Amino acid sequence: MSFAAQRDLANRSLDTAKTRGATYADVRYVRRDVEDVTVKNGHLETVDRSDSFGFGVRVVADGAWGFAASQIVTAAEADRVAALAVEIARASAITKTGDAKLAAVKPARGTFRTEVEIDPFAMSFEDRVGELLEADDAMRTVKGLRTTRASYEIWREEKLFLSSEGADCEQLFFETGCGIAAEAVGDGEQQLRSYPSAGGRSQNTAGWEYVRKWDLRGNAPRIATEAIALLSAKPCPQDVRTTVVISSNQLMLQVHESCGHPIELDRALGSEAAFAGTSFLTPDRLGTFRYGSEAVNIRIDSTSPGGLGTFGWDDEGVPASEGWAVRDGMFVGYLMNRETAGAIGTTSNGTMRADGWARVPIIRMTNVSLMPGSAGTLEDLIADTDDGLYLDTNRSWSIDDKRLNFQFGTQIGWEIKNGKLGDMVRNPTYTGITPEFWGSCDAVCSESDWVMWGTPNCGKGQPGQIMHTGHGAAPGRFRNVRVGVVK
Amino acid sequence: MSQTVAARDATAGLFGEAELRRIAQEALRQADGDEAEAVVVARTLELTRFANSAIHQNVSSREAQLQVRVVRGKRIAMLTTSDLGPEGIARVTRSASDLSRLVPENPEFGGLPDARPISTAPSAFVDRTAATTPLERARLAERICRPTRERSLVAAGYVSTTAQEIAIASTRGVWAYSPETRANAEAVCIGDAGSAWAERSSIDVARVDADGLASEAIAKCIAAQSPRDLDAGTYEVVLEPYAVNDIAAFLGLALTGVAVEEGRSFVGGKLGQRVTGDVTIREDPFDPECVPRPFDFEGQPSRAVTLIEQGVARAVVYDSATAHRTGAENTGHALPPNSFLSCTPMHGRVEAGDQTREELIRGVRRGVLVTRFHYTRWVHQLRTIVTGMTRDGTFAIEDGEIAYPVKNFRFTQSYHEALAGTLGVGRELHLFAASEFGGVSAIARRVPALRLAAFTFTGTTQY
Repeated sequence: MSFAAQRDLANRSLDTAKTRGATYADVRYVRRDVEDVTVKNGHLETVDRSDSFGFGVRVVADGAWGFAASQIVTAAEADRVAALAVEIARASAITKTGDAKLAAVKPARGTFRTEVEIDPFAMSFEDRVGELLEADDAMRTVKGLRTTRASYEIWREEKLFLSSEGADCEQLFFETGCGIAAEAVGDGEQQLRSYPSAGGRSQNTAGWEYVRKWDLRGNAPRIATEAIALLSAKPCPQDVRTTVVISSNQLMLQVHESCGHPIELDRALGSEAAFAGTSFLTPDRLGTFRYGSEAVNIRIDSTSPGGLGTFGWDDEGVPASEGWAVRDGMFVGYLMNRETAGAIGTTSNGTMRADGWARVPIIRMTNVSLMPGSAGTLEDLIADTDDGLYLDTNRSWSIDDKRLNFQFGTQIGWEIKNGKLGDMVRNPTYTGITPEFWGSCDAVCSESDWVMWGTPNCGKGQPGQIMHTGHGAAPGRFRNVRVGVVK
Repeated sequence: MSQTVAARDATAGLFGEAELRRIAQEALRQADGDEAEAVVVARTLELTRFANSAIHQNVSSREAQLQVRVVRGKRIAMLTTSDLGPEGIARVTRSASDLSRLVPENPEFGGLPDARPISTAPSAFVDRTAATTPLERARLAERICRPTRERSLVAAGYVSTTAQEIAIASTRGVWAYSPETRANAEAVCIGDAGSAWAERSSIDVARVDADGLASEAIAKCIAAQSPRDLDAGTYEVVLEPYAVNDIAAFLGLALTGVAVEEGRSFVGGKLGQRVTGDVTIREDPFDPECVPRPFDFEGQPSRAVTLIEQGVARAVVYDSATAHRTGAENTGHALPPNSFLSCTPMHGRVEAGDQTREELIRGVRRGVLVTRFHYTRWVHQLRTIVTGMTRDGTFAIEDGEIAYPVKNFRFTQSYHEALAGTLGVGRELHLFAASEFGGVSAIARRVPALRLAAFTFTGTTQY
């Protein structure tokens, strides 16, 4: 169905909503095409192509919110869903303590498109899968592995947004992600190495050039060898405090969990209290709370090239923006939508995002990135470190519901002795309290080692929504960190 | 404020067995391959969410997906669409058929499973759950919010109702259809310095006791105010069912054929051996108090399986592919086809014991009562080591009584080793039916409270 035909139905829903008494309404049509392919142990394990198309109508009526959605795209359904959204809003109003208010925004109009070098959907299937099989084969040249996996995801999403305030914008997004993993088992141990990051794959708003950039085949033997070596590596030092140098792909998850989530203003205002939790970064701390050391600068930027949170407008028609969350260690900015921004007397910075047509937009991370410092390359940073551990690639992550107490495990670590990497260590973990941890950061590597990572698996909201978020990071160094929680 | 209360037909929004059979058969008819399978899941998911004691998100979505697998020799292609109309069916089957010519062979593939007789299970569909209106859900939410406001506390949570249909057909003669409903309510009650949790689930919305939920959360919240510091360490614990559900969920991921095959299950090579204390864990697709469904997402009959019997590992569950690769018998526990997880127990039950919650607590001289866990993640899957936080009601137990609230702990603990020290099992089973897998309401579980001899808390937080 063309955007023009979708626009006709969307306008019909807006009219129906207004006729039924909505004081605000917006409509999103979303078509998503995804291909996920997994190779396991040299064989094509799954090929899953999916397409999903539908629309959602969000309204304010009687001062309260309602949302309804459907995958049936007809005029009758456009009317039914809009009317249902109003009925739901009126039901919501029986508990309201005040009317929903939206901070002003200029109605969004225009188009946006992800720029790609190689359209993955224009490639042959055999070419795409061939690169995975080659990477998987290269891992299996190393003997002794139990399981190897290689996977990619390609993603194309069209989105049309209209509102009763006059917004009308079209967007087209491409994403490409990839990853390989080798698993070794023996003597009661189970060890995993993955590349280029954890969690199955790393992803960007990009084309197939993103897969080529990582040279999966070239890195496969190293990953496989490390998985085997971990089986007999020495355990991580137990329950000690030491200096840790953290890799870029691990530090980006630290940013996601310990900065990205607590700066969500809906959390800080209690909207997620039952599920994801609240935040230690309460509004009274905005501009006054020391989040980390002066080396810590964290940016909210939905214009970053390649970021999974890069777009033209968010899902309530607010344009992409950039600003600071943490500046020279001070907490200075939230992720906001129109309603919460109004509640603290400002305007939205455009972070409302929905997981497809069937879910209501909520505040989500866009691209939340630790900005580069001046510590040079990773090698420079290690050379500058007398004693400690280098920790690489996430294996385990957990943080409390205010985002204070965290514990992360990484797949691999190495001792640092006199500025050089020493013995490999297995099952490394580190734990701390967020502002103390970031307060102990005394170095962040330079632009040369900064990478825009992508996490395609951020869960939030009820019903559950999975969001794709971007996080740039360079390796960093932290002092006096508690490591070795697991025996 | 005017209210339009529309009575709703329980079948509104449902496709019905005949229509889903027609859609599935049409997909099979158009598929061009040696064999084919069609899985249709359709549901109306409605959820009324509240925070700060008022509804702030209130949603309804009508969702459906048709998943077609086309098999050509040992080549398999799978496509999914949300368009169940003629164009969608034609597009997805044509694309799957074309793709099945291109994909490399999987020499481990044993073919789609044959049709096998499926036993009758109790109905999991309750009309009034499917017919619940937005206003009725809002009123249930208000029954939780109002009493918290009256006590100057704050409530956050949701009330949801879901009506779902699952249908599976294949060219091997498989046909399976099941409609089911789920109603869930959960809430955290928050005071100035402490919070508490309660939740209820049933296939019948009339059995979701919102008043009881509110009373439980409010009473515990009042008791949870101003928590004290308690040093991290290893403590005897009583875990409320909300926390035990997390243990059952993680162990369920390990009690599968694929986890054993890949060397990441704690029962690998240990069937017949003692792996925990005196607890029994069963998979029971016919449990009328759960969300019964007698078949899996390959349309295979789901067997009741005793996974752990009084601490002895007995069996794991399988899907057809894992069973074929490992030479095991398929138990009928395939999940919807996906890239992550092929099979799991979908109706797990930790069997009840004989003690009340109060009796479990009374047996503890010095320990900790945990209401629920938060953000739990594997640290080491083979050893079932999990880390996470306690949340929403953690208390010190002294001399058999709840003594005072304590600040939340981080734990890092092997779950099955924790069960090795089982000292008591609650006699009430609590149903958990809210979890989703890949956009499908696929899993439910019933568990009791447990008293465990040793649980290792490795850190604390500031509240």
